[in-house]
Amino acid sequence: MSAHSHTEGQLPHEPEKATLEGRNKILGFWLFLGAETVLFGTLFSAFLALRDQVLDGPKSQELFELPLVALATGLLLTSSLTSVFATQALHMHKVKAMIWWLVVTVILGLGFLGLEIYEFSNYVHEGHGFTTSAFSSSFYTLVGFHGAHVAFGIVWISLLIGQLAKKGLTVTTAPKAYVAGIYWHFIDVVWVFIFTVVYLMGKVG
Amino acid sequence: MASNHSTEEQRPVRHKVEGPKKHIISFIFSILLTLIAFAAVAGGEINTDFIYIILIGCAILQVFVQMAFWMHMKDRGHTFAIIGILFGVFVVFTCVIMAEYWAWW
Amino acid sequence: MAHGHAVKRYSGLMDWLTTVDHKKIGILYLIAGGFFFLVGGLEALLIRIQLWKPLNDFVSADTYNELLTMHGTTMIFLAAMPVIFALMNAIVPLQIGARDVAYPFVNAIGFWTFFFGAVLLNVSWFTGSVPDGGWTAYAPFSGTTFNGDHGFDYYVLGLQIAGIGTLVGGINFLVTIINMRAPGMTFMRMPMFTWSVFITSALILFAFPALTVGLAALMFDRVFDANFFDPSGGGNAVLWEHIFWIFGHPEVYILILPAFGVISEVVSTFSRKRLFGYSSMVFATILIGFLGFMVWAHHMFTTGLGPVANGLFSIATMLIAVPTGIKIFNWLFTLWGGSITFTAANLFAVGFIPTFVMGGVTGVMLAAAPADFQYHDSYFVVAHFHYVIVGGLVLGLFAGLHYWWPKMFGRMLNEGLAKLTFWTFFIGFHLTFFVQHFLGLMGMPRRIWTYLDGLGFNEMNLISTIGALLMGLGTIFFLLNVVITAFKPKNAANDPWEDGRTLEWTIPSPAPEYNFKQTPLVRGYDAYWKEKMDGHTEMTPAEPIGSIHMPSPSILPLFMAIGLFITGLGLMYSHGEWGKIAGIEAGFVVGGIGLIITFACMIIRSLIDDHGFHIEPEELQDKGVKA
Repeated sequence: MSAHSHTEGQLPHEPEKATLEGRNKILGFWLFLGAETVLFGTLFSAFLALRDQVLDGPKSQELFELPLVALATGLLLTSSLTSVFATQALHMHKVKAMIWWLVVTVILGLGFLGLEIYEFSNYVHEGHGFTTSAFSSSFYTLVGFHGAHVAFGIVWISLLIGQLAKKGLTVTTAPKAYVAGIYWHFIDVVWVFIFTVVYLMGKVG
Repeated sequence: MASNHSTEEQRPVRHKVEGPKKHIISFIFSILLTLIAFAAVAGGEINTDFIYIILIGCAILQVFVQMAFWMHMKDRGHTFAIIGILFGVFVVFTCVIMAEYWAWW
Repeated sequence: MAHGHAVKRYSGLMDWLTTVDHKKIGILYLIAGGFFFLVGGLEALLIRIQLWKPLNDFVSADTYNELLTMHGTTMIFLAAMPVIFALMNAIVPLQIGARDVAYPFVNAIGFWTFFFGAVLLNVSWFTGSVPDGGWTAYAPFSGTTFNGDHGFDYYVLGLQIAGIGTLVGGINFLVTIINMRAPGMTFMRMPMFTWSVFITSALILFAFPALTVGLAALMFDRVFDANFFDPSGGGNAVLWEHIFWIFGHPEVYILILPAFGVISEVVSTFSRKRLFGYSSMVFATILIGFLGFMVWAHHMFTTGLGPVANGLFSIATMLIAVPTGIKIFNWLFTLWGGSITFTAANLFAVGFIPTFVMGGVTGVMLAAAPADFQYHDSYFVVAHFHYVIVGGLVLGLFAGLHYWWPKMFGRMLNEGLAKLTFWTFFIGFHLTFFVQHFLGLMGMPRRIWTYLDGLGFNEMNLISTIGALLMGLGTIFFLLNVVITAFKPKNAANDPWEDGRTLEWTIPSPAPEYNFKQTPLVRGYDAYWKEKMDGHTEMTPAEPIGSIHMPSPSILPLFMAIGLFITGLGLMYSHGEWGKIAGIEAGFVVGGIGLIITFACMIIRSLIDDHGFHIEPEELQDKGVKA
């Protein structure tokens, strides 16, 4: 029996789960997110242990600019919503809508990154550099790792947009898009903890 | 992938595709929780310990909402996904408890 | 069936460099792991020769520190784990009736990243900057204040790269076992080795990220001047210990659980008896894995965590003895009343049981925090962990290798030589490490380059060194066995031990490229034994004979790993050693190029759809894996 992954005619209902390969990718990715949870958790733990070691640098109460963080949070949260819409379009087999929602997601993600880079450069000018203190090293490592994950996600989704435009929605491209969506939600979830633990709690003291 | 079959037979059944309503409600809920958290800090007059509780509570609620609705964790077929994430959370919880305990003692 | 794409098949060296076949990858892991076992063993012998008499100067103190650091790091990360992965790869898909793992391409990435990480770490020997602060790399000694040369850069970057391979391997086996079992194989019908691989993979999944963070933080401290572990910058040296051991303790369960799985298989097969208490074995394995995440601070009792923390971790550690004890008794009850054959594999397994128990009980002694204040950093600890790792894991691996050698290579190892290997290694092992308990109790600290005369250490150190030489001899016997066997004809039967109970013994030895001509139908635990007891000689197939879909080989995993290797080297030498290119440190440029290579490979893989190829029913001769 021939076993190629493109079907003739009707795409199955949940195309990302239609093949064993797709189901393996989704399960594997969820497990990877379990590992990422521990990764970020360890970074959080290190941050929590070191957040009082400010040395000569500015303290978190003086340093953090909440309006900027609030705006960045709004952008990322909205981008998470738009990526859900993309996944819904996936289930409705509407490639064009999917691509449109993914493009919006990428733009919002770029906005988030831009704001974060702007924020970091401000901090550096105020004397809060990577090497300033244990607090600053762990701050930039934790928030920076998150930012790196956002950047990776942007590149990934952009490449995916290209693939969807060229090859359309198939049982091969569907799991990739589904998994990218889950990844994007996860980094939004991590951000919820970052703005809570790092910024808000840092502002409170 | 080494297997004899890589696509399953799909019966031509009409499936309901869920609309965006649930997701938009989740989104609004998330924004609200975020606003509450920021307001609690910007407000300034509330006791520090109480603020911490509000912040953590909002964060956990928001994460729950996002994971259940946006990441489909409430849908069936996610047993191992849930086990995976929960165990990761458990490991993190242990580490964070130790970090906080150790930093404060 | 006509297909649009050409079927890519390589032969010779290219076959091995591009393979995504779990069986070949298993052999690659075995060769690499075996090689590094010899390297680590040589390091051990040099250590023991230095210590055979007081005030010896066979090697300098600095070299000694390098030897002991590399011995530990090599043995754990570059020898034990790869050989475990070799058995996992070679056997688990066969035991569950699958044709490959869930992600064959990623499986290859796992091997090559391990390999190049291992190479990077050992390049340090050639550049003269060898890590020298113990395999645990405690801060602040591992930072640049006290360790200005590149030794720990090799450690950090080599292990980080190798760790990526391990993590993806863990995910691979979890998904394989969850999603790809043959029809009828429920979780509670899986063989014990597969169960232990499943739990081990879960441990890998959740423990390695902590190591990733620790190594990254140490790298940031060393390369980018961060302040995680540097007290002068507000950092905390004990933080390193926490992060390291949150990884490190699950790591030792990652090491031992597969061995437990092997023992269950071997003891059961060679007693011709079903494993006693299967459900409790599964439960005990899960419990050990779970508890393993809650005991890490028992490596840190003396760091001033306080009595409450010490007490909690003490109790949690002792608790692990309970499920472990369940397993020991179950093995004994399996043997009891069985029709036992003492093949070499079974000798290793039966030798494992009392030896591991000895290591386990000294573990419970160490778990008593107040007592540990005396044992900590003495040879008592060294004795304990060698009993559980060498007397436990390594004996278990030898058992597994002898047991599954015919399935992997199509030939049986010579039984006489194998028994000689066992006795030499086993006696040598006990000679080496039993006396070290007493050395520790007498006050000999660990990691010391030499010791004074007249302290009472002399005779026992001499005995220990003789034991080590015997272990070396045992290893040589094993190598001889491997070489001699390689020249025998490849004519092992499907079920060479004649008492096979599990699915891997239903297919030819070595397994054909596609594993199963037809996926079998599993009707119970010890699936093959069940069929035998019902009078069948073969498994009932669960599907008709059809064309079999296989994954394509690829050279990309090799290049991805090479890219990471180049990045590691570049990052290390980015403090002016290589000058500047266009104003940027040359090291960073090289590092960037390495990353570009790796990402380019990932992008190529994603953009070019390769749907594999098919083996048609006409071609289904039982071709073996060429080894």
